[in-house]
Amino acid sequence: MIDGATSALAIAAAVRTGKTRARDVVGGALDRMAARDGTLNAFTRVLRDTALADADTVDRRLAKGDDPGPLAGVPFAVKNLFDIAGLATLAGSKINAGLPPAERDATAVARLRAAGAVLVGALNMDEYAYGFSTENTHYGPTRNPHDPTRIAGGSSGGSAAAVAAGLVPVALGTDTNGSIRVPGALCGVFALKPTFGRVSRAGVVPLAWSFDHAGPFARSVGDLAAAFDAIQGPDPRDPVCATRPAAPCAGELGRGVDGLRIAVAGGHFARLADDAALAAVARVAGALGARAEVTLPEAHRARAAAQVITACEGGAYHLERLRTRAADFDPMIRDRLLAAALLPAAAYAGAQRFRAWFRARVAEVFREVDVMLAPTTPWPAPPIGAPMLTRIGDVEVFTRGHLGVFTQPLSFVGLPVISVPIVLPGALPLGVQLVAAPFNEAALFRVASRLEAEGVVAATAPTVLS
Amino acid sequence: MRYSFRVTIDEAEVERLAAQVGLTIAPTSRAAVAANLKGLLDAARLVAEFPLPEETEPAPRFEP
Repeated sequence: MIDGATSALAIAAAVRTGKTRARDVVGGALDRMAARDGTLNAFTRVLRDTALADADTVDRRLAKGDDPGPLAGVPFAVKNLFDIAGLATLAGSKINAGLPPAERDATAVARLRAAGAVLVGALNMDEYAYGFSTENTHYGPTRNPHDPTRIAGGSSGGSAAAVAAGLVPVALGTDTNGSIRVPGALCGVFALKPTFGRVSRAGVVPLAWSFDHAGPFARSVGDLAAAFDAIQGPDPRDPVCATRPAAPCAGELGRGVDGLRIAVAGGHFARLADDAALAAVARVAGALGARAEVTLPEAHRARAAAQVITACEGGAYHLERLRTRAADFDPMIRDRLLAAALLPAAAYAGAQRFRAWFRARVAEVFREVDVMLAPTTPWPAPPIGAPMLTRIGDVEVFTRGHLGVFTQPLSFVGLPVISVPIVLPGALPLGVQLVAAPFNEAALFRVASRLEAEGVVAATAPTVLS
Repeated sequence: MRYSFRVTIDEAEVERLAAQVGLTIAPTSRAAVAANLKGLLDAARLVAEFPLPEETEPAPRFEP
């Protein structure tokens, strides 16, 4: 039986071998969405008619003996900043609702569809991706499937929540400073931020051009690899997409971790976090026998530089809308973007110079280490509407902004990262980042697969919604 | 090279900076924008305080 716990790979196998129809799979996903999304608010748009029509197309192709693709009949959904042909691309905003419909799908969406997957809807997010909480004022907060009083994380909160709740097995999101990994961790699913340039961003509304990434969410490592393999590779529509050929990762899963040098990130990545977040890293390190510690020098400044570049590029991208439509921005975002638009050029250039220096230091570290372990977030999901500030030890930090403290220094220099989920009984989910050198996603999948096989990490189904 | 960024920002300063880029900031937003700008300038200062080698070059590789 196919239900909300069934993997994408199992669905595709059942559809491709005629054991079930794509229409029944997609109909089941739409029914689950109708039953559960009233609570979660993960979706901003459900594409019932086109999804069922696309599923029928998959079934007709199979009946004729055609190959509809490796993800035949797999329902998926995308953060609503990916272009979907025929719809206005909201990017979490009210302003964009007035735009003309997109003329074609974003490349990543088109590639999943070409692999036979069926798009069932668009997902909630922080407005213009400038946040970590998906407490969207226009479209409402997305609720965490493990505790609906808490945030799903952001900015790809709808994507993580929809996968965690079993509404879809695969979703796409974007990550500039942590927006795939943070909600992935808080909702307890696997989440991949690929190497910068590995997955096309064509047809994706930007936040910060210098380090916007697109990537998948899934409930298993196999599904994550299948989704990544479907979307990765060169794309002439994205000027910064790498020209090197796609490097499929599905075949890496059973290779084990022998020969991989694995170390734990110290310094910045071991401070200002709950004990539970650090314990999650220790649990993963213990399972892998990783005893070495490495330090990314000046990681706290890397985070600061990421904030400056994000603000400058975001403020510049939205400047005209800020001039003419400021009142229509989400109040959660508006004042931050207005401030961003006022930063001096020297701040931007200095941050980019620091980035070049930091990238070279990180490259040195990854000559000695293949995979680095770090917490994804400093704590589990805060309540929706939590106070702006939180005290940790004798330091006061921004409750939402601090969620990116461990993700920002890594996306800043484009490293590939898988956030693997740790969901202990009676506790909220946490994530651990597996980090590698650029274009070494293969090592991440080997490690994630080993951890999954040993039961150390798993996207445990939420109990409150079942 | 070191830069020096302001450590305080008031609402009048926000208005002046906003005018430079053609923005009008509602009076009800000015205090929050000032607070956010101070946070960003603090981040910029943290970056600027690090003594980068003079030859550090931020331009991306040009591959026409």
